[in-house]
Amino acid sequence: MNIKTAFSVKPEPQEAVADIQSQLKDFDTRLIIFFASSSFSPDLIALGMEEAFPCAETFGCSTAGEIVTGKMLTKSVVAMAFNKKSIKKAKVEVMDLDKESKRVFNSFQRHFNKPMAKMSPKKYLGIILVDGLCCKEELIMDKIGDLTNVTFIGGSAGDDLKFEKTHVYANGKSYSNAAVLALLEPATEFSFIKTQSFCQLPKKLEVTKANEFTREVFEFNGKPAAVAYAEALGVSIEEAKKRFMHNPIGLVFEDEPFVRSPQQVKGDGMVFYCSVKEGMELSLLESTDIIASTKKSLDEAEAALGGISGIVNFNCILRTLELGQKGLSDSYGKLFDKTPTVGFSTYGEQYIGHINQTATMIVFK
Amino acid sequence: MAGKIKQMIDTIISQRAKDNAMLAGVIKTKLMLKGIDPGKFTPQSPDDPAVIGKLEILMKEL
Repeated sequence: MNIKTAFSVKPEPQEAVADIQSQLKDFDTRLIIFFASSSFSPDLIALGMEEAFPCAETFGCSTAGEIVTGKMLTKSVVAMAFNKKSIKKAKVEVMDLDKESKRVFNSFQRHFNKPMAKMSPKKYLGIILVDGLCCKEELIMDKIGDLTNVTFIGGSAGDDLKFEKTHVYANGKSYSNAAVLALLEPATEFSFIKTQSFCQLPKKLEVTKANEFTREVFEFNGKPAAVAYAEALGVSIEEAKKRFMHNPIGLVFEDEPFVRSPQQVKGDGMVFYCSVKEGMELSLLESTDIIASTKKSLDEAEAALGGISGIVNFNCILRTLELGQKGLSDSYGKLFDKTPTVGFSTYGEQYIGHINQTATMIVFK
Repeated sequence: MAGKIKQMIDTIISQRAKDNAMLAGVIKTKLMLKGIDPGKFTPQSPDDPAVIGKLEILMKEL
């Protein structure tokens, strides 16, 4: 086994780290990704993981719930360790969100001795973990997408629904208003899953007035956004507010929705959990079966790769909440009981762009 | 003038995807998320400076 997972529900950071260290004691850990509940001190958990695995690059973030092989957890730390046979090379960098991103890419280029623009997306993969309260994920993903064809996938850090402060971790330190980017050269094949459980309804909402930076939409189809959204659902605005999770909207491209989840009605406009741009034509979506659609995606990935040795799952907190409301959290966890898996409940998912109500996953052969 | 946007989109896709259909799909998706729907532009589409500006930034990174 070249990818191994560990977790701990011990409440003190030092105890949790020691617990994880003991579970990985016979493993030649060269890279470790970990996700920790916001109940742990960010500085102590970041430093503890670094000191426990001195021969490894360590990185991770705070969460709104954790996922490990077969289980959905809270108030835990989950970790995935890679040895030399699973990851050939890795470089972890921290991006200050107020500064230029080129420094990070220059560092990757030096480490791998290759321009980012020339790196093959079949050979390299990027992981991105972002401060979940920064509201800058779209800008970062847009910039990364301009600079390279390498796929960067990941999630926005959480803080157990307190919405106060989230943290990303890299090599012993904790950061806010930052993103951690890891560029990996895996030794095995890998692929990605982007799964969301929605069907597309025929109603279209064209964004006619918006502020993409504050993620506000003022008008759909030339009408106040809240009015147009409620009309599309055929209900009152008050009733529409209760339907956000069940009926988000999506930018649909070749039948693939990129979900934008409403957060609140503000005046007669609407605020979303990720940005929408003027001129975009969006479709009204309707929630379906998370368990069935996730299982289908996992089965397809397994068939395509001919087996899976590890999964990193960035699962939207809104999916986690929906699963909890429907009593399906255990069933979701069990979808991952055959394969070493880690993940967390995110404040947003990254894959090509920034999206909501989706699970984005890295799947290693 | 017309057709410049379609021409720029085709250039970006062909230079970045290099006949890789999967990669071409990813690049089209990136354009969609930037607010540029590649399917909407034809050789007859007017040269909108705002869209051309966005595409010029992307072409610079090639």
